[in-house]
Amino acid sequence: MDALTVPNGKKGIGGSILRNEDERLLSGRSTFIADISQPGMWEIAFLRSPVAHANILSVTKPEGFEQRVFLLSDLGDIRPIQADSQAKGFRRSDYPALANDRVRFVGEPIAICLGRTRAEAEDLAQAVFVEFEELPAVSDLSQCRDPAYPPIHPGWNDNLFLETHIDVGDVDAARAKAAVSLTRQYRMNRQAIVSLEGRGVMSYIDERTGELVVYSSTQFPHVIRTALAHCLNMQERELRVVAPEVGGSFGVKNNLNPEEIAIAALTKKIRKPIRWVEDRREHLIAAPHAREHRYEVTVHADKDGLILGLEASIDVDAGAYSVWPWTSPMESGMAIGFLPGTYTISNYRATARTCASNKSPMGPYRGVGRPGACFAIERTIEELAVHLGLDPVEVRLRNYVRPDQFPWKSAGGKTYDNGNYAESAIAARDLIKPERLTELRQRYADSDYLIGLGYATYLEQTAHGTAEWVQRGLPVVFGYEQAALQMTPDGMLIIDVPIQNHGQGLETTLAQVANEELGIDPAQVVVRHGDTSMAPYGMGTFASRSMVMSGGAVGCASALLADKLRKIGAHLLQVQDSDVRLEDGFVVANASGGAKISLKEIAVAAFLRPERLPDDVDPGLSVVASYRTSRDTGAWSYGTHAAIVAVDRGTGMVHILDYVIAHDCGTIVNPMIVDGQMMGGLAQGIGTALYEEMPYSAEGQPLASTFMDYLVPGASEMPHTTIEHLCSPSPITRYGIKGMGEGGAIPPPASLCNAVNDAIRSLGASINETPMTPDRVLRALLDAQAGSATA
Amino acid sequence: MTDARTIRFTLNGAPVSVSVMPHETLIEMLSLRLELKGARESCGQGLCGCCTVYVNGKSVSSCLYLAQLVDGANVVTIEGINDGARLDPVQEAFIEVGAFQCGFCTPGFIMMARELLDVHPNPTDDEIRHYLIGNLCRCSAYPEIVEAVKLAARRRAAGTAPALAQELSA
Repeated sequence: MDALTVPNGKKGIGGSILRNEDERLLSGRSTFIADISQPGMWEIAFLRSPVAHANILSVTKPEGFEQRVFLLSDLGDIRPIQADSQAKGFRRSDYPALANDRVRFVGEPIAICLGRTRAEAEDLAQAVFVEFEELPAVSDLSQCRDPAYPPIHPGWNDNLFLETHIDVGDVDAARAKAAVSLTRQYRMNRQAIVSLEGRGVMSYIDERTGELVVYSSTQFPHVIRTALAHCLNMQERELRVVAPEVGGSFGVKNNLNPEEIAIAALTKKIRKPIRWVEDRREHLIAAPHAREHRYEVTVHADKDGLILGLEASIDVDAGAYSVWPWTSPMESGMAIGFLPGTYTISNYRATARTCASNKSPMGPYRGVGRPGACFAIERTIEELAVHLGLDPVEVRLRNYVRPDQFPWKSAGGKTYDNGNYAESAIAARDLIKPERLTELRQRYADSDYLIGLGYATYLEQTAHGTAEWVQRGLPVVFGYEQAALQMTPDGMLIIDVPIQNHGQGLETTLAQVANEELGIDPAQVVVRHGDTSMAPYGMGTFASRSMVMSGGAVGCASALLADKLRKIGAHLLQVQDSDVRLEDGFVVANASGGAKISLKEIAVAAFLRPERLPDDVDPGLSVVASYRTSRDTGAWSYGTHAAIVAVDRGTGMVHILDYVIAHDCGTIVNPMIVDGQMMGGLAQGIGTALYEEMPYSAEGQPLASTFMDYLVPGASEMPHTTIEHLCSPSPITRYGIKGMGEGGAIPPPASLCNAVNDAIRSLGASINETPMTPDRVLRALLDAQAGSATA
Repeated sequence: MTDARTIRFTLNGAPVSVSVMPHETLIEMLSLRLELKGARESCGQGLCGCCTVYVNGKSVSSCLYLAQLVDGANVVTIEGINDGARLDPVQEAFIEVGAFQCGFCTPGFIMMARELLDVHPNPTDDEIRHYLIGNLCRCSAYPEIVEAVKLAARRRAAGTAPALAQELSA
């Protein structure tokens, strides 16, 4: 069967071919973690802390069930998670697999309980008696350095993981020269991440190999193997980690989880298969959270809106522990580094604080730090334009880094590769048609609807290379990717990659890369992933890296394989190596009417009939190659979003009337998949902007634990959206590809907040906090009313 | 705890009998006792649609439906909506339009979309969004899902199914 194609007929890079992985996924046959079992397997429920901060005085196992309840002390000699940043002044947190003497957030695991069913295991967990001595809970960023709240980790003198500073150029001179200096404060509140499949682990001992086999719903199985080996004092060869089908992830499955360590350690001890499938409540309260940024930003500009300098103070609540391998300062570090955005800001002074609290630890979520930074800078640009009475797009155009300035070294310490930011803003403006506003406002003049328009330009650093990860001070440097290719004797291609596919369509797009180099039909290519026993070592799928990094590795390996195929093919066709090409599954002689030989016949020679091979060619068709980008500072996607909203002044509801995206992710491998990623990101960005929030009580209790109180966007929340693709191929990646998995989620909070402010400005109201819930919008309108009444 | 009871019902066209506990939900029985994995529990509260199956021709959240209540009923899951040789037109449309990414929620959407087309053979965009309001897709392929449902509606109306199914099963 041929791969299915859209009419343009392209199957390689640039073809919208249908996905190889689709049929199994929609027929219910695929194997997610809850679908995988072993004979004699026990189900697990974790006993989790019901309190935010407490000393554990005692734990009593239910009588008669002592052998089915396990505490940290039962798991043997294992190490806690220590996600240490190399940054100077960083304070370490030891994150134990199971809480021992103290709990630091609601949901922290304390004990593992085994049952024949999950229900039985939960009943057992309910019967465990824990005596807590409660301590004051740090539940708000303002309490971080308040002496009324004792440090939550031993050896600390307040609740600060790290404070970092940037001071570039001469901000004081900029301030002195500025015609205008504006200060604004912004809040992006805490979110759960939410994959519809929660986390989960199933592990057992493979008696034949002696391996401890750990199935985990994770984004990076090899890295988890390395981490588990360290924490369990094992050799990596004694461990096999498999990521099965993963039902959504978005970053939440990109961490070493205490549950993974605890389950692996318990399996090693009791040598029985066990499985944990996270339920919704566990996922919402105990899986890593995201965002929770606060900003105070001051911009200094001349009277035409040219930015002369920028100052910022950034606070991030990173929760109770530093997560491995990202470390707790990841969010604040990204925020401080990305705040200057797409603008030629050369005078920049900022402080970023990473605070600890008695909340679930903060992990990576689509966008990582950048939705907050984009929100802060793009709101500020818009405020500057309003203050000066200028058009917000024009102010941006005066400040963007120009195409002739690349590679641009930003004040945030990043190196942007290329792009045309102005082109994206103009394209977005052309698509949204700002001239419609007058007519829309007239049409709704007699209604409760206030109409507004907002823009936001974003940057998405992708495929971060070695230099970036070293700069961030991480314990693992994710600067490369590997791929193993083997052709089978019947001429099909098997690609084993250590990256993971959890919806990105990589089983298809990597096959398209192979097609580009080998001319093989993508339908003849099998891409296998997620298993440390099958693929060479690699880093996994996250940070919009897999298409660039794994695509590069597959490209490099395919090119090596292509050389060998051409050589064998030319020999069999009795022409020179240089006189053949690979095309549509054949080696074809270049001469007109040239003879051709199929990949299958070449594979037969390579594997089964070596006497047919040229003397200087070894049998077999297998290649392992590794790839890194030619410069290691990342490939930079970017774009501009624009939104028209209607704010209902009666209910505070925000309705999105129209939404446009003009973006550039370099060379596009599969347009259908890129559109899907962009729309999915947009929906999650809309969630951040309007709906999603994980609030905590003053006692540190999470206040959203079901989909009734944690609202994720559904079909009705998606606006009419137009996408325009621009294309500046990256100069530093194979094929010019840039990653783009996160970009859709980065600017919507900014574009929508700008639009809402544009709508409510006529009433003297403003809002600078996400999510912009009806309640917050109404409060902003009432505050403005109260203000004008007292004025 | 009360004892298990044996129930008999029709599952995807075939008669089955299963011994189930009174507290067991339909999704637990389907996935753990009958090895049908396509309906999946995600929220456990009937709020996400991932566990949608048909009981006597009507969609239910199997996470909220007690297993013993299907005694004597006709139950159809995602595994039973086609004959195995070819995909349902809704499934084909989801593939062609690219209406899913990770695939975890997709069986639930397929089940609801089929029911929608039985009730509204020619739905508007708003009717589709409204009907699917109880199904969540965190990959958020919603625009493509709406397109796929419309494509399936056109295919049903024309009485044609594309050659895709045969190709996929070839």
